[in-house]
Amino acid sequence: MSRWTKFLIAVILGAAAGLFYGWVVNPVEYVDIAPISLRTDYKADYVLMVAESYQVDHDLGVAVRHLARLGSSAPKDIVAEALNYALQHQYAAQDMAVIQLLGEDLLTWNPNLEIPTMEVPTP
Amino acid sequence: MKSERRGSWYLLTGAVLGVAIGLIYSWVISPVKYVDAPPYALRADYKEEYRLLVASAYMYSSDLVRAQNRLAQLKDDNPAQSVAMQAQRALAEGHPEAEVRALSLLAVALSQEVTPTAPSPDATQDSTSSPSNTSGSLPILNQPAVGPPGEQQVNLIAQDSSQTPGPLNMLDPSLMVTSTPTSGAPFVLQDSTLICNIEQPDPLIQVQVKDAAGQPVPSVELVVLWEDGQDHFFTGLQPELGLGYGDFLMSPGTVYSVRLAKGGQAVNDLTASECVAEDGSQYWGSWMLTFTQP
Repeated sequence: MSRWTKFLIAVILGAAAGLFYGWVVNPVEYVDIAPISLRTDYKADYVLMVAESYQVDHDLGVAVRHLARLGSSAPKDIVAEALNYALQHQYAAQDMAVIQLLGEDLLTWNPNLEIPTMEVPTP
Repeated sequence: MKSERRGSWYLLTGAVLGVAIGLIYSWVISPVKYVDAPPYALRADYKEEYRLLVASAYMYSSDLVRAQNRLAQLKDDNPAQSVAMQAQRALAEGHPEAEVRALSLLAVALSQEVTPTAPSPDATQDSTSSPSNTSGSLPILNQPAVGPPGEQQVNLIAQDSSQTPGPLNMLDPSLMVTSTPTSGAPFVLQDSTLICNIEQPDPLIQVQVKDAAGQPVPSVELVVLWEDGQDHFFTGLQPELGLGYGDFLMSPGTVYSVRLAKGGQAVNDLTASECVAEDGSQYWGSWMLTFTQP
């Protein structure tokens, strides 16, 4: 076996060890994530909380700003996605009704009428 | 001999180079991506927003178990204290009153672990995401006929809101978890004492509010007035000190007046007063005011 072949094998073995260490033993840890990185069920529950909160304050602007944490999609799409998840996972009818109410009100929401009041943390 | 030694060195060099390449690739070029993260991995400010949402949702549902389950996802050492501290910060930073109130009510409920008795029909959820076995048609949902096989899709279509149930169990704050109602006879000052505690050298106005049965009363708003301004604070935000306890930090030289926001007897001419330690040194004492219902 030539010296170059041994060298390449050493590089490959070293790279494999490095990948194993970097991906398995000591992977990059994200401890300060944003809600957009939450698991789907947590996102759906997040939307449910926003919807329940909206039933208390009836402030669509606040609800939209909370929903914006979950992605750049239109708020009504985020709510529809959560509603889909809720339907597929057989959430209580009351919970789905609350989400649906928020979604319906978002259909008439006009972002141009909103005055931003909530500070948006930088990621 | 010399050739063998050179061979070992270039093999080691190759291995080190390989490790470096592997680490660069796994840490920089293609690091592990957390796309299904749990709430406890949220950044601190997002955790606060999460707690606020839990509190606001609790205002709607008055479901303490659900609120506890949601807060448990943040893995705080003491969820009740975390909520209480956030309520205090919100109050100190001048956040909207509704926010402070929601957090305060949840903090008090968590510390007492008593679910308010507001009616909650069909409120059978007991988990965070609250799936239930209530399968079947849902009249409020519009399900298009087309869609991926085996997967139901939902479109949001504007409807007459009268077709949908409204809030089923809006929480009346008056129904909150206080051990006894705060309504009734106005609170009166039972006692006013200067407390000298060298381990607590800040000049505080400390308040204890108790009902007619002598039980502490949380969520009581107190107003502090002085010549140039006013502030307010609530009881129950430091559960470890008692549900009827609240305090306010005085500035030396300022004269304060304290009263309950809902009226009642005011306590005037409160100023930071000094105490003397055993070694002759001086430190600030605190005024302990006890309000009770006759």
